[in-house]
Amino acid sequence: MSAVAAGPELPPDVDRQLDGLPPTELAVSVLTYNNAATVPAVMSAVRGGLEKHFTGTPAVLINADAGSADATVDRLAESGLPFVRARHEAPAAQLGAVPFHGVPGRGAALRLAVAVARRLGVRALLVLEADVTSVTGEWLERLLRPVLEHGADLVMPVHARHRYDGTITNLVLAPLVGALFGRRLHQPLSGPRALSARLVERLTAAPRWPASGRSMVDLWIAGSTAADGLSVHEARLGRWHVESSTRTADLPTMVAQTLGAVFAVMEEYEDLWMATANWLPVPAEGPALLPADEPAQIDVERMVGAFTRGLRDLGTIWEHVLAPDTLGDVLSLEADDLERFRFPDDLWARVVYDFALGHHWSVVYRDHLLRSLVPLYLGRTAAYVLATRQRDAAAAESALAAVADAFEREKPYLVDRWR
Amino acid sequence: MKNGARDWYKDAVFYEVHVKAFRDANGDGTGDFAGLTESLDYIQELGVDCLWILPMYPSPLRDDGYDISDFYGIHPSYGTVEDFQKFLDAAHARDLRVITDLVMNHTSDQHPWFQASRSSPASPYADYYVWSASDRRFADARIIFVDTEKSNWTLDPLRREYYWHRFFSHQPDLNYDSPAVRREMLDVMRFWLDRGLDGFRCDAVPYLVEREGTSCENLPETHAILKEFRAVIDQEYGGDRILLAEANQWPEDVRPYFGDGDEFHMSFHFPLMPRLYLGLRLEDTRPITDIFTHTPPIPPACQWGLFLRNHDELTLEMVTNEERAFMYYAYAHDPGMKLNLGIRRRLAPLLDGDRRRVELLNSLLLTLPGSPIIYYGDEIGMGDNVYLGDRHGVRTPMQWSRDRNAGFSSVEPGQLYLPVIADPVYGYEAVNVAAQARQPSSLLNTMRRLLAARRTSSVFGRGSIEFLRPRNSKVLAYLRRHGRQTLLIVANLSAAPQPVELDLAAFAGATPIEMLGATAFPTIRTAPYFLSLGPHGFYWFRLERPGDGDEPFGIERSPI
Repeated sequence: MSAVAAGPELPPDVDRQLDGLPPTELAVSVLTYNNAATVPAVMSAVRGGLEKHFTGTPAVLINADAGSADATVDRLAESGLPFVRARHEAPAAQLGAVPFHGVPGRGAALRLAVAVARRLGVRALLVLEADVTSVTGEWLERLLRPVLEHGADLVMPVHARHRYDGTITNLVLAPLVGALFGRRLHQPLSGPRALSARLVERLTAAPRWPASGRSMVDLWIAGSTAADGLSVHEARLGRWHVESSTRTADLPTMVAQTLGAVFAVMEEYEDLWMATANWLPVPAEGPALLPADEPAQIDVERMVGAFTRGLRDLGTIWEHVLAPDTLGDVLSLEADDLERFRFPDDLWARVVYDFALGHHWSVVYRDHLLRSLVPLYLGRTAAYVLATRQRDAAAAESALAAVADAFEREKPYLVDRWR
Repeated sequence: MKNGARDWYKDAVFYEVHVKAFRDANGDGTGDFAGLTESLDYIQELGVDCLWILPMYPSPLRDDGYDISDFYGIHPSYGTVEDFQKFLDAAHARDLRVITDLVMNHTSDQHPWFQASRSSPASPYADYYVWSASDRRFADARIIFVDTEKSNWTLDPLRREYYWHRFFSHQPDLNYDSPAVRREMLDVMRFWLDRGLDGFRCDAVPYLVEREGTSCENLPETHAILKEFRAVIDQEYGGDRILLAEANQWPEDVRPYFGDGDEFHMSFHFPLMPRLYLGLRLEDTRPITDIFTHTPPIPPACQWGLFLRNHDELTLEMVTNEERAFMYYAYAHDPGMKLNLGIRRRLAPLLDGDRRRVELLNSLLLTLPGSPIIYYGDEIGMGDNVYLGDRHGVRTPMQWSRDRNAGFSSVEPGQLYLPVIADPVYGYEAVNVAAQARQPSSLLNTMRRLLAARRTSSVFGRGSIEFLRPRNSKVLAYLRRHGRQTLLIVANLSAAPQPVELDLAAFAGATPIEMLGATAFPTIRTAPYFLSLGPHGFYWFRLERPGDGDEPFGIERSPI
């Protein structure tokens, strides 16, 4: 146990709260924005997990709040844990249109939580989201134990999901992030995570936190951890369930936000990914997950229809974004026959890389660029569904691994054209 | 190709062009493939998808190229096969497809096959044509070119037999009962498809086979041959090359040309076209709505080809005598404007140059079920010259600018294959591409906007049609539906402003979005929906219901 350390400046009211705290080993940070309805369930899991798996270990609760107007903060204060309340700024635009994965001003919230954890001198910082109600006490154990006992610096979650959930993550985000940072993370943007004291220390000292919030900070943390040679693990958690009325459910918005975040990180932090050519395994903790595999009603025909409409309507944008060979290959896909429709992994990797390059060189207005990827994503997703719907879970996993392979294989294509 | 779907023709807009009439690149007074290639940017910017090239083959040109003397070549005035290949590749590079005319029924009497056939009954080509010792056979077959031909038989002085011809006497009909002829024609098709051609507009297909005691039109044997051709082309070329039938027949008689989706991909809807003009002139929707009650459903992979005008006379074969008399009265006040059973005039002069009526008919062309075909020059409102004889008056040089020869050619005007239109109203100094391209409100730019709007929805090419029946019979209103999308088209056929109340209760809660200006109109309620339309005004609405666009693919539950 260590005493409260000196560190970067914190808001005076936070400083005052820290002065009165006893030494602590664990910090649990909950990021909130009007989550009064769901924080009791989250805190119940936190208390249960600490009592069961970390009996006697001093812990503190850090609440980074974006300005809740309901009883969120009061409910957290009632948890019985030593409590630090920190309010952060959130951009007005994000307050009005909350991103898909949590609180507005997430970057500021995480930075605040990291700074408080650093000042508290904890051995591990656990970050939870206030609207993810499927959290259990086991999550704490699986996320924190690798940090406390196995030398992990960053522990990212792997949730049990249906094979056709998370298609943006599985087919775009994860393979792209894996190829960039050299670590195959199953769910790079999933909120729960654990950070070591060493990582907290480095992040606190980092001069270049992403200026904006949204997903950039999550990706930057993962990228920084990998680039610094720190140890990245994954923890297999249970199902992921969110109860939120504010997260967007609009598919094009989600694609644009997700890809926009990765592309922005690529733009601002070239040092984190340009030179990475080694792909290190990511140890996983926890029992193997059985993915939900109930029959899904996927309208593949409509997805392919959206793809072909994109071919017709977005050609003028794609001509600016895609390399001629890539565009030619996309136009050659046999979209008129569902049974024969395929979207090769290497082509898909080049499509995504061309979009990254188009974003980098600003060949068209960036929001248009990002949204124009949606029909291509739907086409690729349809091809994935068509290729795996009659096959078992292992085959579906193997198809995703092949996508990741392709992104890694094609990475030189991206790097060569970036400069 | 942007639209790489096998059934691309269902969404396509076609542009019909005569090589000789579009642009003369080599300065001999006749348009050529090099000139057409130079003009592809213009065609692409217009917003069409497929060019239909009128006959380009070597020919004595006694029927403007529909009398082919060599199926494997290019008429020397238009260039060479290599020039054609360059043109085709350049079109494809611009995502433009190309189909060409192919005259299947007959050849020129100058074709070597005919010359060999007439030379001796013992020639290997003897049975390539339909010969008879008598001119009494097939007496039930009508004469099509009544103005020039007295019989379907002509005596050949060399072979001393009669040969059969459904069109001009210099166009002997091929004998499709001969397996050798069928093999020859398939080889002709392969020759052009191997070069990348996207299909054929097959001329005069109802007449391939003759049988005694019949009209010699639409016979089962003819369909069997066409199906055989289609199967071979599908098998050898992957299924995205199309066959478009010219069968000037009633829709129920054209229907068999689609087969079960295994004969022609497309066929022209001939009877619709005169009824559009009729409805416009009568200011009455019934001629238009009635023809759709006589239009049978066609297989899902098939499509109607719609047109307002083409290279031929505005044919009135498919109207009643009364209707024809009215059409002549309304649209051909000068006897010189009539030809055969039709009117040899272009779109704009037919409509007295009335811009609103030109736009209205084009609006109907682009929104009724089928793939529209635009005749070159009609997008700028070109005029005609009925004094040029036959159908030459609607085949004059494209009017590019007010330069010499309308910018079409640099030769002395007397050397042009036909004189340019030079009258004060439709002449090239008043009507040309260069001027209209610069003027935002020109007909050309309006056509570009209409075509661009049409491209935003696959409903136009693929949707069903359902006519609304408002009390005001001067207002044509119809719904086009495909999948979850619904369009509402409303058109005022009258020269005076018109009100209309539409029963749209089934769409209560939906918001009509006017597609040309993206303007949201008042939300539809259960009460009749009121609209007012200016003279010959029209609306294209997309009906947006609450939640439209949010319909799930099944992957939205948790995509991140």
